[in-house]
Amino acid sequence: MAARAEHERASRSRSWRWTAITGVSLLVLVTIHMVAHHFVVDEVGGLRTYQHVLDYVSTPIIFVIEGVFLVAVTAHAMLGLRSVLLDFGLSERWRRLADRGLVVLGIGTVVYGFVLIGVLASRA
Amino acid sequence: MSEQRAPAPDRDPGVEQILRARQDGSHVARKLPGPVAWFDLRNRSTGHLAFSLNRITGLGLVFYLYLHLGVLTLLLGGEDSWNGFLEVATLPLFLGLDVLLVFGLLVHGLNGTRLALVGSGYVPNHQKAMFWSLMVFGAIVLVYTALHVFGGE
Repeated sequence: MAARAEHERASRSRSWRWTAITGVSLLVLVTIHMVAHHFVVDEVGGLRTYQHVLDYVSTPIIFVIEGVFLVAVTAHAMLGLRSVLLDFGLSERWRRLADRGLVVLGIGTVVYGFVLIGVLASRA
Repeated sequence: MSEQRAPAPDRDPGVEQILRARQDGSHVARKLPGPVAWFDLRNRSTGHLAFSLNRITGLGLVFYLYLHLGVLTLLLGGEDSWNGFLEVATLPLFLGLDVLLVFGLLVHGLNGTRLALVGSGYVPNHQKAMFWSLMVFGAIVLVYTALHVFGGE
């Protein structure tokens, strides 16, 4: 019982730490993303045209930044969803199930995002 | 049963109170843990309000993440597909949703910064003053953003 409580405490602490780390990194990445996409572009009410998007994501440094952004935002979102689910007071069994579901959803999101960025970058 | 539900550091502070009240039958202003309680503002402190705002904006931003991925999928359809979206996205209603998105980002981001700073011990625990200061800063940024979104062509 004590070992399980200790394990849960460590798990919560790790989860909180990663939520904070990804959250702080997102402050920088979201700012870059929003400014680059909506504040420095003059066309169509601040939105990039098709060719602009292709040129933008095919730039190596932007590709890396957008990739890191995708991973950070997905990790933060999955950790946040986990906290919300814990608010319901899930049993141990349902919590394990939720953890696995969120891992699958997170990996699927990141993979899909990279496919999307990769395909668009290859069209430039 | 309830000892399996160890309190998480980022869990709604009211949840433990509710679970205890369920066990000993004592009074609790908020009856349910989770999303129902987030909208229950009875007897709530600034900390509770901040917590609820963080949860609600967080869920909204997760919804937006998948909506955004869905919209970006239109790019795979080529230039015509993307141009069709741009026509819709520049309607006033959608520009208003952009401002709503920035509102969510600011509330969640600034409040999250406060939580990270206080939780990690880098700043003294002046939650209330920090929360309202950051919200005022966020309101200024939001007004600037709204003017940019609606004023820019």
